[in-house]
Amino acid sequence: MVNIIGHRKLWLIIAGALVVASIVAVSLWGLKFGIDFTGGSLLELSFENRPATADLASDLANFGAESVSIQPAGESGVLLRFKSVDETKHQEILKHLEEKFGKMEEKRFESIGPTIGKELRTKAIYSVVIVLICIILYIAWAFRKVSKPIASWKYGVIAVLALLHDVGIPIGLFAILGHFAGVEVNSAFVAAVLTIIGYSVNDTIIVFDRTRENLIRAGGDYENFDKIVNESVNQTFARSINTTLTTLLALVAVFFWGGESVKYFALALIVGIGLGAYSSIFIASPALVLWEELTVRKRR
Amino acid sequence: MNKIKRFFANAGKKIFTTPRAKVWWLIVLILAFTVLAGFLDYPKYYDQGVNWLKKTTGISLPEFYKLPFRLGLDLQGGTHLIYEADTSAIPDKDRDDALEGVRDVIERRVNAFGVAEPVVQTTSAGGSQRVIVELAGVKDVSQAIKMIGETPLLEFKEQAAAVATELTAEQQKEMDDYNAAAKKKANEALKKARAKGADFAALAKEYSDDEATKNIGGDLGFITKNGIYSDLYDDAEKLKINGVSGLIETDDNISIIKLAATQDSKEVKANHLLICWSGAQSCTGTITKEEAKKKIDELKAQATKENFIDLVKANSTEPGAATSGGDLGWFGKDMMVKPFEDATFAMKVGEISEVIETQFGYHLIYKTDERTVEEYRVSIILIDKKTKEEILPPAEEWAYTGLTGKQLAKAQVQFDPNTNTPEVGLEFNDEGKKLFGEITTRNVGKPVAIFLDGEAISIPRVNEPIKEGTAVISGNFSIPEAKILAQRLNAGALPVPINLISQETIGAALGQESVTKSLMAGLIGFLAVIVFMILYYRLPGFLSALALVFYAVLVLALFKLIPVTLTLAGIAGFVLSVGMAVDANVLIFERMKEELRWGKPLGSAIDEAFKRAWPSIRDGNLTTLISCLVLFWFSTSMIKGFALTLSVGVILSMFSALFITRSFLRLIAPWFHNKSTWLFGVKNKK
Repeated sequence: MVNIIGHRKLWLIIAGALVVASIVAVSLWGLKFGIDFTGGSLLELSFENRPATADLASDLANFGAESVSIQPAGESGVLLRFKSVDETKHQEILKHLEEKFGKMEEKRFESIGPTIGKELRTKAIYSVVIVLICIILYIAWAFRKVSKPIASWKYGVIAVLALLHDVGIPIGLFAILGHFAGVEVNSAFVAAVLTIIGYSVNDTIIVFDRTRENLIRAGGDYENFDKIVNESVNQTFARSINTTLTTLLALVAVFFWGGESVKYFALALIVGIGLGAYSSIFIASPALVLWEELTVRKRR
Repeated sequence: MNKIKRFFANAGKKIFTTPRAKVWWLIVLILAFTVLAGFLDYPKYYDQGVNWLKKTTGISLPEFYKLPFRLGLDLQGGTHLIYEADTSAIPDKDRDDALEGVRDVIERRVNAFGVAEPVVQTTSAGGSQRVIVELAGVKDVSQAIKMIGETPLLEFKEQAAAVATELTAEQQKEMDDYNAAAKKKANEALKKARAKGADFAALAKEYSDDEATKNIGGDLGFITKNGIYSDLYDDAEKLKINGVSGLIETDDNISIIKLAATQDSKEVKANHLLICWSGAQSCTGTITKEEAKKKIDELKAQATKENFIDLVKANSTEPGAATSGGDLGWFGKDMMVKPFEDATFAMKVGEISEVIETQFGYHLIYKTDERTVEEYRVSIILIDKKTKEEILPPAEEWAYTGLTGKQLAKAQVQFDPNTNTPEVGLEFNDEGKKLFGEITTRNVGKPVAIFLDGEAISIPRVNEPIKEGTAVISGNFSIPEAKILAQRLNAGALPVPINLISQETIGAALGQESVTKSLMAGLIGFLAVIVFMILYYRLPGFLSALALVFYAVLVLALFKLIPVTLTLAGIAGFVLSVGMAVDANVLIFERMKEELRWGKPLGSAIDEAFKRAWPSIRDGNLTTLISCLVLFWFSTSMIKGFALTLSVGVILSMFSALFITRSFLRLIAPWFHNKSTWLFGVKNKK
């Protein structure tokens, strides 16, 4: 049996440090929002002879496309982002670039008006809030039976904390990726976050379920609370790791072979779901023991 | 006999009722389902089989039911357009109707474009009405957008009831307050302007509301008695050089002016005779330039001081010349076109000019008088006031009637029987016929306006109710113009204006690339999961891998049947569901291993494992489904695809774990009853 609970402070400190780092990253750099939230245009082109980024930038600025950001994509592709333009302007830009830089192909064009952007932003916020409320209600229901020596609501609070950890660190990671690699947070990222919430909370619940089952079996012998918890974690260890591993295997395949547009979506899921396994093993149960100790100490 | 009968009865019973037989039947059922689903996914092999059968035995079977996967725009290329319909001008209750009209018209347009299965939907979001257009596989998106955008907007309007012409008490107060503040500001500026050493230019910059002049020191240049600043001329006349006026107040504004300089300038008075040719500016005549030149030369030969006015009245092509005699009155520099001005200013009073050519035609000029006037160079500080007209909403002259391009059945070019000019005849459908009858009945003796693309193109007066459901647009068309308009109207006319607010276009090449990539990713993910399960869980792992293959076949068939539109994110959702589908198996196998370690026999260990693991499986999938449900509501099409495939996958994975894997395990359990448990991932018991 692995002594996980014994090193509880170490696990919690690691998790805490990562969460703090994420908060720092987000407050320092913020998130780089994609055009589906801000409104704007995105144009993906593939050139026969790709011009230098600087040439494209100065040329487009002269042409009157506002706030252009240019990113090379793949071997011959370029991703251009600028303020929302109408169809006429879009065609003018294409024509101009073709004349100036030679043969090219338009692979993708998205133009999202500011109203739609605002709407998606509101919807994204609503959907995260609604999912969180649903999950909290679900946790409250799952732990409705009162148990000793820990009140059932405490399981719920810890499960929610673990969830915030699972979601907070990917957000921090994307703040860092956004700052250094220009990775954007778009509606797909929101979908990833919601999926993480839905998937990760389970592991935690299953570990807690096992803990309660073992506590009942122990029949009021709460002296060895930490031992019982450690045993429960060990019993569910393999299944926590394996369920996560199979899911991650599928996601890693998507990350490497699924193409550019779902790459970062897969990354967010990989990180979040991986953290979900960490939090159910190394955060939820250790936190449970820590909380129990603190209450007992207070009572004495 | 009886014995045999009993044997068959018993055997029959046995085949269907013993637990073992039930397991076999379940397996057969699952296999049959999966094979059917497999054929639906990929009918090629079935069809080949049918062909082979036909060739060898002559038995002919129908080919398998063909149902294609529905691919999203990001996989097959195409465009997703969101139009906003501007329904602000029409009453609330008619908005949905108008939106449906927009949808119908766009649909007709898009169908003409020849796109397979175009999607045209309406939605209302955040108080705005929208039409979503999805054109899959369209090659020339720009052309498609242009075609939709060219759809004409046709509206029939009647005169609006009178709108408010008086200010409310509140508006009156708002106006009075604003103007009192303006007055105060003007007084302040005046005081400063009159102070010693005042810098008028700086004061103009600080106080003036006239954007055109405030940054150039308020300079208006030289003003004349008849120019655009004639209202300031009298005030300027009273000032000395560098003098500052008092407050000059009108209804619109308050101004303070300063006189900078004066100069003399010449004004002239003249009559002219114009002969224009077809093609000259504003010319309605039909003669050629050569003919015009001949005519004016003849007139020049005849013209004298005495008969000039009469010649003008009889010959000039200038509108109204018959009564005015071509009199232009007094004018200064820069008021006439250059050749005309030069000639007039160079002439002596009482002379008749040579033939002068301008863009309007050929002129003869008779100069009648000349005088010297003073011009004043003036700077201004202008302070804006509010007027009643600015506060009142603009009077909407025309009101919505409900009759629009939506009710148009047909448009065609025809000719006015009296004047023989081309016009566009409209024919309404039944609804339009009724509406037009009602509108013309209640507007007899009043005008009804026909608006095309927001402009009143023709405003005929209604003489009598028109019940036949026909109308005519007569708007000074040339024949080609009338033809094009009729064509555009026939292709569909919009009931309200629309605006493209969002566009997503994916090139076909990128779509194909994405399909290849996501299939690759799916296959690799699938294999990775299978290999892991077999290596880790051995025999049960192999069974779960088999179940996973069945699962994938069934899910893909469901995607075709529902049908689910597959997008990139949707395929990612499916791959993710493959990873999650084995979760249930992991839960069951882990529990089974525990039960085996506790020494339970294989059969009951399996049953116990399923019983114990079920609540965890159910709860686990429930939370994922909650997230999917919310995601589905968060309705970008991309996210919807993901949520849908993941939900379908999750629900079916529960069925797969409980049904398929369990049946397999039950089937094989007796075969390994007394054998090593190594195959089940447990070390042999001591």
